[in-house]
Amino acid sequence: MRFLRAAVSEVVGLFVGDWAQTAVSVGILGIGWFVLSHVHVAGIAFLIAIALAAQIVYATTLEARQRARHS
Amino acid sequence: MYAQVLTFGAAFLGSAVESVEALTIVLAVGLTRGWRSPLYGTVVALVLLAVLVVLFGQLIVTRVPELTLKLIIGTLIVLFGLRWLHKAILRSAGVIAMHDENKSYEDTLKELHGSLLRQDWVAFTIALKGVFLEGMEVVFIVVAVGGTSGSGGLPIAVAGGLLAMIVIAVTGVIVRKPLAQVPENTLKYAVGIILASIGTFWAAEGMGATWPLDLVSVLGIAAIYFGASRVAVMLIRRRSPVMA
Repeated sequence: MRFLRAAVSEVVGLFVGDWAQTAVSVGILGIGWFVLSHVHVAGIAFLIAIALAAQIVYATTLEARQRARHS
Repeated sequence: MYAQVLTFGAAFLGSAVESVEALTIVLAVGLTRGWRSPLYGTVVALVLLAVLVVLFGQLIVTRVPELTLKLIIGTLIVLFGLRWLHKAILRSAGVIAMHDENKSYEDTLKELHGSLLRQDWVAFTIALKGVFLEGMEVVFIVVAVGGTSGSGGLPIAVAGGLLAMIVIAVTGVIVRKPLAQVPENTLKYAVGIILASIGTFWAAEGMGATWPLDLVSVLGIAAIYFGASRVAVMLIRRRSPVMA
């Protein structure tokens, strides 16, 4: 049973470290999907990558600040 | 050709990183408690992982429409890759400790300590659990990257994953100690960027987007993620110079 629980949490842990951050990433992809279905310009999908990249800069700096505050 | 190299490379690097971690556990058990039980555990774990690859690989390749596949698997690869990249950034900036195979080795020895009476069962279970859990990430990378790169992609990804496992296993047998010299953190950083880039590419294609220069755009996306990761490391180090 412990092995199964570890396997399940391992599978979830593959994709989710922080639920809020995951929700933001999925939200960016959702907004990207909406925009892409209305605006047909080649290369506009790069905006999704830029938004996700900005999100990871924000999330990592935030986590670093929080860890620094708690240590 | 470019797609095949990308598929093989992502599967090889991802599998290499996880194989190093699995090898450390098996070595710790084998060198201290004898080889029979941990090898049985390893074989059982590898068989289970192979079943997962065949099952999900076939299911994905044969049952799911291409665009849906790209959207769903692309999204999962983005989340997976960003998670690796997130950790890599924090490690590069000195916020969290680098993954240390020697420490993992010592941790496994501690786990084994005090269970001499149940020696074989414990050795078997620890090896099985270690290889299976580390291998889950390899299964995901192989199935996701192979399944979405069109016909023939899955065998190429499986070949990349298997070759990495063989290389790491043979090296482990030769040196008989944890492969602490493998630049595991750098590899994870690179694989995080590659997977996040491939995932973004496929997810957007699944949404109906067209990329200029097709797959070559992955290089542009990778440059965006790499640039962002360096900015993040720089910002963190500037705010907390002690960590750097």
